[in-house]
Amino acid sequence: MPIYEQTYRRYEARGPLRRVRFWPITREALRLLLERKAFLLLLVAAWAPFLVRLIQVYVVTRFPEAGRVLPVDGRLFGQFLNGQLVFTLFLSIFGGAGLVANDLRTGAILVYLSRPLTRRDYVLGKLGVLLLLNLSATLAPGFVLYGAALGLAPDQFAAWDLAWIGPAVALHSLVVSGVVSVVALAVSSLSRSARVAGLGFFGLMAGLEVASGIVGGIFRSPGSTLLSVQASLRAIGNALFGIAERGAPLHWIYPASVLALVAAGCLLVLRARVRAVEVVR
Amino acid sequence: MAFWPAARGVLGLALEGMIWSRRSLVMAVLLGLPVLFAIVYRAARAASVPPQLGGFELYGHIVALYYVRNLLPLAALFYATALVADEVEGRTLTYLLTRPIRRGSILVGKFVAYVATTLCLALPADVLTFFLLATAHGASGLGSRVPDLFRDLGVIALALLVYGALFTLLGVLLRRPVIPGLLFLFAWELVANLPGYMPRLTITGYLRSLTRHRPPEEGLGVLLGQPEVLPAALCLGVLITLALVFLGAAAWIFSRRDYVMEQ
Amino acid sequence: MTAPAGAPAPTVEFVRASRWYGQIIALNDVTATVGPGVTGLLGPNGAGKSTFLKLAAGQLAPSQGEVRVLGRPAWGSPEVFHRLGLCSEADAFWDRLTGEQFLTSLLRLTGYEEAECRRRADQALAQVDLLEARGRRIGGYSKGMRQRVKLAQALAHDPDVLLLDEPVSGMDPVNRRRVVDLVKRLGREGKTVLVSSHILYEVEAMTRKVLLIHNGRILAEGDVREIRDLMDEHPHTVALRARDPRVLARVVVTSPHVLSLTFGLEGEWLTVQTARPDEFYASLHDPAIEAGVTEMYSPDENLESVFRYLVAR
Repeated sequence: MPIYEQTYRRYEARGPLRRVRFWPITREALRLLLERKAFLLLLVAAWAPFLVRLIQVYVVTRFPEAGRVLPVDGRLFGQFLNGQLVFTLFLSIFGGAGLVANDLRTGAILVYLSRPLTRRDYVLGKLGVLLLLNLSATLAPGFVLYGAALGLAPDQFAAWDLAWIGPAVALHSLVVSGVVSVVALAVSSLSRSARVAGLGFFGLMAGLEVASGIVGGIFRSPGSTLLSVQASLRAIGNALFGIAERGAPLHWIYPASVLALVAAGCLLVLRARVRAVEVVR
Repeated sequence: MAFWPAARGVLGLALEGMIWSRRSLVMAVLLGLPVLFAIVYRAARAASVPPQLGGFELYGHIVALYYVRNLLPLAALFYATALVADEVEGRTLTYLLTRPIRRGSILVGKFVAYVATTLCLALPADVLTFFLLATAHGASGLGSRVPDLFRDLGVIALALLVYGALFTLLGVLLRRPVIPGLLFLFAWELVANLPGYMPRLTITGYLRSLTRHRPPEEGLGVLLGQPEVLPAALCLGVLITLALVFLGAAAWIFSRRDYVMEQ
Repeated sequence: MTAPAGAPAPTVEFVRASRWYGQIIALNDVTATVGPGVTGLLGPNGAGKSTFLKLAAGQLAPSQGEVRVLGRPAWGSPEVFHRLGLCSEADAFWDRLTGEQFLTSLLRLTGYEEAECRRRADQALAQVDLLEARGRRIGGYSKGMRQRVKLAQALAHDPDVLLLDEPVSGMDPVNRRRVVDLVKRLGREGKTVLVSSHILYEVEAMTRKVLLIHNGRILAEGDVREIRDLMDEHPHTVALRARDPRVLARVVVTSPHVLSLTFGLEGEWLTVQTARPDEFYASLHDPAIEAGVTEMYSPDENLESVFRYLVAR
């Protein structure tokens, strides 16, 4: 008949839904990123500190006296991972700023959500991109450095009392990558311009870092750490790797709570912003 | 249409969009944070929690560290790289390019809109912060510090002008100016902390010399000591020249480039 | 188009113009002129129509050759825009502005005083039937309204040259008709209107002068009928409706220029393919009366068949 009834029709998929539905989103976004030479250069640059630390380990292994100036122990990994934080910011801006922003601008979210994908699949897919990028700058070089340290100085690093290093590297990398990724994705969902989202993300992270420094300068209190995401992540790393901090140390539970709240807030933002249709009043 | 009336027309069109945007809300919050610091400082003093810094000293840290070294360059990067890029991305550049006006006037009009917007956000915040902090220990001595306020307002305006001109040029030259801009700000500008002639190769070096505030250096800066203070006339001359050169170059490139907007 | 003697001077001229983007040649050694009246610019996707329009509108510089509008180079001559209006294809606006603000802002940049800006804006909005919605933000407009306000900004300063890229896209049938009538009127007033469109029957409704473009080269230019007539190797089709088509067919088949005959399914139609349409028509008089011919037309003397044939060659 030429005129159809406008009643509800159930969606009847031809086959069962895949279990891991978000993976194609992650895979395609990564493929597009890895085609860009500038991005590959940034990834390579993120491994430069790894080389510096590797040389440090080698030098101290060959010349133990150098260990007095450049100590090589569990703290080395914490300092290395804290230093990688800046690369996660750049990777998140380069690779993540446009992840949701571009889809909002072009209306591609409608295309995604008209497939058998939920909003959760979409967010997981996009988050997967950022997580993999940030882990490639934290977990991957962290583990390779640990492996190299085990190879170069087995007497020291294969000892049982340093066995915590591997799990600490994994945990710290996951926390750093997870928090930075979810914040970057949430900021990306707040704008339709990748450039504005990238700069907004950087401005937020840098601005809060400076604010934390200023408040710390006013009150000389470790609590100022809690104002900044970067400072909170560094505090977690310091606690995990036993790095002494200036002034009175802050118990790790406080920065961990703040980061958990930030992550939860970002997920709420994503829940509100990732929609197929936006109502313009 | 003559250059300056055309630029004024573009200014009117751009200014409204810049001021009433989400971007400006974010910038207003970030540039206004020092006011919050000042309120917290005064509240701490009122609650007999002794701050470690004097009020005016804190104000100096805020101007030198928060504004000049971080937020103002970021604000310039935020707005100035987008002057042309926003129109290209939004595909509205065609409307401007099909008016009987010189292309340079489009860029100049938008640049003036950026300067006006950021000055409207930054200057009142700085003035408020100054009065909240400089009077935290009482109003005596305030009169002698007001010239510093005017000096700082001038430095803020100059920072927005010169960084804005640089990032306008970057925005016109490069398709993706954000990462190079960030690398310039947080890698190259660190050269200002090195001894000798190196600070003269940075914008921060000149701006820092113009403010009277000298916050203590941290990290590697402690090893290098306080950098050289350059003469004010030299700083003003170099910064204004740089701003004019960058903006002129940006206008020249913009007027010769053709833009293919994605469909 | 080479203008005949005494004809008005061409308004838009392409002289061996080419434009490439890296390795891709978008427009290849194109020489064409467009004069007063309405000209349709036609071609499949990727043919080079948008590039052609952007070159004419001074948005792109030719990689080679020249593009002139009203005697001046299109690229680098902003004064041309006093007399040129462009309605681009992109659905892009400053959404925060109202329709009126959009037009007045752009008219200010054209050099008009405030009162004149408002008067012209109202006039242009009335032309596209958007006067009542002028106080609403463009962000809240429907697709058709957005297209109309885009057209209004191209018309507001009363230009002599109008470049319209898909001007009726997104419009409802009533407004499409309105725009087609507006374009025809502008052509009759002596303005040069170049309309790029995929919708062949609408271009046909506006004009018979066309510029066909494909793979960056000009396929054909001029009147549709003249182009058709020049296509010697392509037979002409003539459809005839008669009381007794088989009687007609018996006579027609003896003509040496008739290449094939096809009877219609409903029994009243006869379709003839002929290499010499004029001679065929001349020989049709008596057989047509005998067979009771009531209707006759040529289905391939329209733009679509000309276009399809030329593109497929």
